[in-house]
Formats: sequence, C-alpha cells, structure tokens
Amino acid sequence: MNGALVWLLVGLGLAVVVVRRRSFAVGLVTVQALVLAGAAAHATTGTDVLAACALAARAIALGALLLFVVSRTREPRPIRAGLSPLARGGLAVALALALTWLVPTFGLDTRNVERGVLALVAFGAATVALRRATLFHVLGIVLAENGLALAALKLPNGSSLAIELGVAFDLTLVALVATVFHERIFAEFGAGDSAALRTLRD
Amino acid sequence: MTSRELLALVAVGAPLLIAVVLSIAPRRLIGVVAKTGAVLAAFAGGALATVALAAPGSPLVERWLVVDAASGLFVAVIGAVGLASVLASSSYLSSTDDCLVRPEHRSRAYYGLVFAFWAILAAVPVIGNLAGAWLLVEATTAASALLVGFSGKPRALEAGWKYLILTSLGLGVALLGIVALAARSTAGGLDALSWRELSAVQPGSATLVAYLLVLAGLAAKIGWAPVHNWLPDAHSEAPAPVSALLSAALLPTVLLVAWRTSQALTPVLGQSATHGVLVAFGLVSLAVAVPFLWRPLPWKRLLAYSSLEHMGVIAIGIGFGTPLALAGVAVHIAGHAVAKATGFYAATPLLSLDARAGLRASRGVVRTQPGLGSVLGGSLAALAGLPPSPLFVSEVMIVAGGFAAGRPWTAAAAATLLALGFLGLAHALIETTAGSEAPNDVTRPTGLRVVLVLGAVAGVLLLALTAAAVFLPDSAIAHALVRGAG
Repeated sequence: MNGALVWLLVGLGLAVVVVRRRSFAVGLVTVQALVLAGAAAHATTGTDVLAACALAARAIALGALLLFVVSRTREPRPIRAGLSPLARGGLAVALALALTWLVPTFGLDTRNVERGVLALVAFGAATVALRRATLFHVLGIVLAENGLALAALKLPNGSSLAIELGVAFDLTLVALVATVFHERIFAEFGAGDSAALRTLRD
Repeated sequence: MTSRELLALVAVGAPLLIAVVLSIAPRRLIGVVAKTGAVLAAFAGGALATVALAAPGSPLVERWLVVDAASGLFVAVIGAVGLASVLASSSYLSSTDDCLVRPEHRSRAYYGLVFAFWAILAAVPVIGNLAGAWLLVEATTAASALLVGFSGKPRALEAGWKYLILTSLGLGVALLGIVALAARSTAGGLDALSWRELSAVQPGSATLVAYLLVLAGLAAKIGWAPVHNWLPDAHSEAPAPVSALLSAALLPTVLLVAWRTSQALTPVLGQSATHGVLVAFGLVSLAVAVPFLWRPLPWKRLLAYSSLEHMGVIAIGIGFGTPLALAGVAVHIAGHAVAKATGFYAATPLLSLDARAGLRASRGVVRTQPGLGSVLGGSLAALAGLPPSPLFVSEVMIVAGGFAAGRPWTAAAAATLLALGFLGLAHALIETTAGSEAPNDVTRPTGLRVVLVLGAVAGVLLLALTAAAVFLPDSAIAHALVRGAG
C-alpha cells in the first residue's frame, strides 16, 4: 500500500472529526472502508481478496444502516459540539501525534502504515470524546475499527481474513445495538444529543 | 472428540440452544422453558467444571480450546450465577412494565438476551486464542448493553449508551494491541495468538506497548480504574439479575483474558513487567473505590463500587502470582460471585418496598423486613470481608501471597486499602440493616421468597467456600493456576 493511499485514509478520518453533518460523516467512513477494501483487493493473495470482500460488505451494510438511522432521526436543529471544528481537528491531530510518538515500530509493512493506523485510532477516540451527537460516537468507533482493519491487512503473517471477518461481524453487531439505543434516545430526549445523558453521577 | 472437548461444546452450546428455543417457544411457556433451560445449562457448565477441576494437572490445551483449572472455575461461576439470575428474573419481570421492546415481546427478548449473553460468557474461559477471546468479549457487549438498557427508562438508556460506547472503544484499543502482538509474532496466522504460542512473540519495547494496550483496553471492560466510568451506571440501572451477571460473571471473565495474556507474555516480557501492570491497575482500582464505599450510596451503586474494589483485589492477587495468592484469587472470584449476586437479587424486593432506594441509601431494612434485611446484611458482610466470609480468607491469602512474592510494600498498601474499604462497607452494613430511617411500607415486597431461598443457599455456599479455602493453597488447583494455559 503506497503512502498516498494511507494519507488519504487519514485525511478521510480527520474529516469525520471536523464535519458538521452526520450523513456526510457516514459517507466519509464508508468511503474509507471501501478504499481499504479496494487496496486489499489489489493484493496478490487469495485471503486478502476475501478480506476485501468482507470489508466491502461491512462498509456497505454499515453505511446503509447508519444512513437509514439518520433519515429516521432528523434533528430539529444541528447538535453543535462544544469545540469549534478547528479546535477539534487540532486536538485530534495532537492525540494522533502523541500516539505515534509513544508507540514504537511494531512490525507492519512500513512505518507509514503504522502511523496511519495509530492516527485513525486516535481520530476515532477524538470523535467519541469531542462530538455531542450520539451517532458520531458510533462513527468514532467505526473509524477506529477502520484503522485496525488497515493494520490487519498489513500483518506480515497473513491472518488478515480471520481478523477482518471477526471485526466485521462484531462491529456490525455493536452498530446495530447502538442504532437501537440511538433511536430510543432520540424518542426519549427529542434529540440524539449525548449532553442529555449526564444525569448519572456520584 | 475427547470428553473435555464435548463437555466444552455442551457448556457453551446449551445456553445458546435455549436462546434459540426461546425465540420460537409459545409465549405462555417462556418462563418454564427459561427456568428448565437454565437448570440444564448450569448442569452442563457444572459437568465441565467438575472434570476440569478434578484433574487440574492434565489440562487440555489446543489451538482454539483450553480446558484447565481456570476454565473450570470460571465456567462454574458463570453457570451458577446464570442459573440464579434466571430464577430471580421472573420477580424482576413482574415488578415493572417498562421495556425497550414491545410489551408482548418482553419476556422473550429478555430471556433470549440473557441466554445469549450466558453462552458467549461461557465460551470465553474455554477459548484458546487471544483474538477469539477478544471477539467473544466484544460480542458480550452487544448482548449485555441491550440488557442494561432493557427498562428503556432515560437513566437506563444513558447507562446502556455509556457502557456500549466506552467498552467498545476500549476493546478497539485492546485490538490494536492484539494486532501489534500478531505483527511481532514469529509464527504465522492466528495460531500465533493462541495462549500456547503467544510466548513466541519477539521481545522488545513494542511487545511491552502491545501488552499495555491489550490490558488498558480490557480494563475498560473489566471496570478497572481509571477507565471504570460506565460501571456504577450500568450496574445500578440494569435489571437486578442482569447486574448480578455483569458483576459476578462478566467482569471476572474478562479479567481472565487479561490474566491469560499476562501469563502467556511473562516469559517474553518478564514477571516484573507483566505482573507490575496488573498490580498497578489493582491498587488504583482499590484506591478509587474506597472513598465511594464510605459514602451513603443507593444499594446497587454501592455494590457497583464494591465490584471495582474486588476486581482490584483480584488483579493484585494475580499480580503477586504465588500459589498462595492465586489460591486466594480462586476463592475470591467464587466468593465475590456468590455474595455480589445475592446482593443484587435482593435489590428487586428492596426497590419494590421503597422506590427511592434506587436514588438514595437504604436504612433500617431489618426493622420492617427482617428477612430481606438479613439477606442484604449477609451479602454486605460477606463482601466487606467480615469473618467467616470467604472473602476475608481470600484477602488474607492474597496479602500473604504478596509478602511471599517479595512485594511487602505493595502487600501492605493493599492491606491498608482493604481495611479502609472494610470500614466503609461495615458502616453501610450497620446503616442498611439497623439504621434509623426504616422504610414505611411493611407489605410483602415482590420476589422476597426467591431472594430468601437464594440467600440461604448463598449462605451455605459461602461457609463451604471458607472451609474449602483452607485446603486450597497447597492443592493441585493452585499449582495449575500458577502454570496457566501456556
């Protein structure tokens, strides 16, 4: 996988942290997973092609599910995060840089791929921490898992298929449950806003 | 297929099969199917546990399957708590009409999710591979999050959402560590992540970082501080039998994955690194839990913070790693499961007696409800480690194991924190049972009879555990726990 493709994936991830619209963010993580699937399909081994199929199926299924949920839970007004897009992007990049500085080379194809993986995990965590809309929390988890899918594809000993299949299954399961919760939260509070979910404290 | 392989398959397959049967069973038979199925599933788990613990010196360790002493202990705990939770569930379902799904699907959805959760949990101790264990732990999140938010009330939705998002993100971090370990392995494919092959990873700082990522990620699911934020909310808002499953079965079972990872990587990273991380998580969890145990908290939140404390104690025991400390860990896991589950079951009648018990500390329950008050008191006394509780014996064994392991300062710090925790829980025990503000309502609360029976059984089990604990330190089980599945 060349460096440009890795940085394209990272750029798409950073965009999820800063964009306003939920549907746009769903599109970004879906495109990201499809780019990953395309890269895997170009590989020479049979298992990587199967991994690409698993990734593509997961991307399309999750994208369709999340867009369906967006259409069913139209927000009366946009849910604004506590921080401006620039501040969110800055914090996410700072977290990614910290992670790449802390984690030494661990054996993927190139250090560029490793940096890409760590950046995507950092952006996923930043999305969960910095966005208020509940659907963005789900997107943060999908974003981090896309990073892990990239790592699995670049494992030197060829265990990517099993990891991709497992992650696809579990991620779909978690996303399904999350959409059930999101719809109930929307029905109960009138908005998918995590700021409403702060009553339980000691 | 050997008898152990078959028993492992049945122990996991039985609750899964019952979940499927429940999805098609006639509505009027759901309660009967669930209770009968729970007895069968617990029996299957018990059979596997008996075989595993009867011959701990000859474990079955394959690429994808492990049946050893730890498997036996955990499958037994999951089976016992699963059975008791199903038996206690009918009173929960009759005590409330609130639900995440349509009322006509309520019982079916509830029991179906409980058995699915049970099946996935039972698979974790017998899976022979770190990646497989991760998949199962992630799958428990999906099933149990729906159970946490099952009432559909705003507070339950909040708790379920926090649990789902925080633990999924944590497990993402753990997966990053697992992928890093796979990349560092000299063996090929997923076999590199089996418990017996994991020690073949290349040593170095990257392996240490991978181990830290795995443990930090799992910590979010185990409820170790400082990533425990979901724990008190989920435990307090889930249906009481589900809280019992979460606290008594889920948390220690995920902790087993951390334990097995630590054991597998000790030859590579060294004991001081792998055990040191566990001890650090344990001490921080204890230190964070103690101030909350001193505060007047609603019953289920108090039990939740007690879970934080006990997961810390278990981590410290594993970190000490001597036969004495690990024997203490085994007793602690079993004793905590019995005492904690009983405490949660008692929450159903307590809340039906006084709805405000979900929002504030209960006081003087024995004055109007001596039976319920005794169960609450017994559970809390056992959890506090008041002799003759098996948790007193296990904590003494763990602390003594720390001194035996050459970690006197850590053992002393753990003993001090445990003593402070004991004082907090002892105060809560006195206030809950004999405090001045007794609940006004003296009618018979919902599900009291079931709780009294379960409380009596729990009392006998706890005393039996105390007696058994005396013989455990020099037993083959303790030595098998030290060896692990590697």
